[in-house]
Amino acid sequence: MISPGNEAALIARVVSGDRGAFDTVMSAHQDRVFSVCLRILGDRERALDATQDTFLTVFRKAGQFEGRSAVGTWIYRIAVNVCYDQIRRAKRRPSVPIPDHVDPSDPAAEAAIESAALRPEIELALSALPADFRNAVVLSDLEGLSLPQVAEVLEIPIGTVKSRVFRGRRLLALQLGNQNTS
Amino acid sequence: MHKHDLDLIAAFAEGSLDDETEARALLESCEECQAEYRSQLEILTILSSAPPAEMTELEKAALHRDLWTELRNPSTNAPTGPAWYRWSYVAAGLFVIVGLVGVLSGQLGLGSGDSAESGEITETTSDLATFSADEGSEAPLLDAAPAADGADAESAPTTTMAAEEAGPLPYAEFAEQARIARESSQRSAPTLSSKEDIDHCLEEAGLTDMKVVEELVLDQRYLLVMPLDETSERTVTFIAMETCEIVYVDE
Repeated sequence: MISPGNEAALIARVVSGDRGAFDTVMSAHQDRVFSVCLRILGDRERALDATQDTFLTVFRKAGQFEGRSAVGTWIYRIAVNVCYDQIRRAKRRPSVPIPDHVDPSDPAAEAAIESAALRPEIELALSALPADFRNAVVLSDLEGLSLPQVAEVLEIPIGTVKSRVFRGRRLLALQLGNQNTS
Repeated sequence: MHKHDLDLIAAFAEGSLDDETEARALLESCEECQAEYRSQLEILTILSSAPPAEMTELEKAALHRDLWTELRNPSTNAPTGPAWYRWSYVAAGLFVIVGLVGVLSGQLGLGSGDSAESGEITETTSDLATFSADEGSEAPLLDAAPAADGADAESAPTTTMAAEEAGPLPYAEFAEQARIARESSQRSAPTLSSKEDIDHCLEEAGLTDMKVVEELVLDQRYLLVMPLDETSERTVTFIAMETCEIVYVDE
């Protein structure tokens, strides 16, 4: 675990061109960035791409980090924006249907399910939420960020975060109810 | 249900209310509110019990490799040095990547059951090869500082990547202080090998004319090294720290 002071110093070293510092920052945050991207995008390959794009941006924009928020919060904000960009780009391309079953002989699919660690019906219900609600629920309830952190990452007021989280949970419950009755 | 009521019940369900009197009273008087409360509790339980998603070790290695390659992309990083020299790094890097992936696939015990992920790496590498063929004249760059010059015995090698030219940096002053602190041996990098170990491995591998660009911790520790002399025809090489053996070299 890197303390906030050390994290800020690490970013400063990244700015000064210290590759080892960049590796350390990446190691500390890569799993959570990937997790956020996977839950927002709902696709492992796209989440890996988004994770890479996030850290490219972290490296290139390290000089613009002003230390007003935690490094993690800053990195997750970048990750969420990268995911938004991916979603926007994907909307311009033909959509890929969500598979309704998983081939147990496919190791990639198996690994994805194991790693995502969410029950398929939850994943499906989550993917059906409007993006604003889904992102708030993912950051707050799945990634465990505090409401002020979510507000910083999504760049919205705390009151709006609360509203989106509460309604997101409610919609999620409705989605799951519909799945059970259908 | 009124928006205020929903917010109150949801906040009560997650236990974030300072004063729960109003919420409790609401629940006692409103069946719809009770259903909402149960629903919020159920969802919270489901979501809070899910562990974060994680990348596999192979995916992490691929992420690191792809970032390393991308950060030398001339379209996003300022080029330095003669073009032919930079191109040689790309070509060498591609050979090394292919070699390392091959070695790691064996060492990580990837058999036929992992063919899908192995295929992904091969495909990515193939994309990189296409990139270097198409854009060879403006190949990725690497601006590496001499390894660990002036650092104390416990310090890891100092490495430098070309930073984007982006005007004045708010953090520049802090960065300079950090650099000075590092050179004054105040830096701690517990995950990296000592300078003695690194020098020993370079000597064992017969690569004393190379400098360390980076240390990678994958299934074991690897040093990524390249020639001290920029005019040298020797190329990028990986050394396994455990055995001090060259993992792959393209001569």
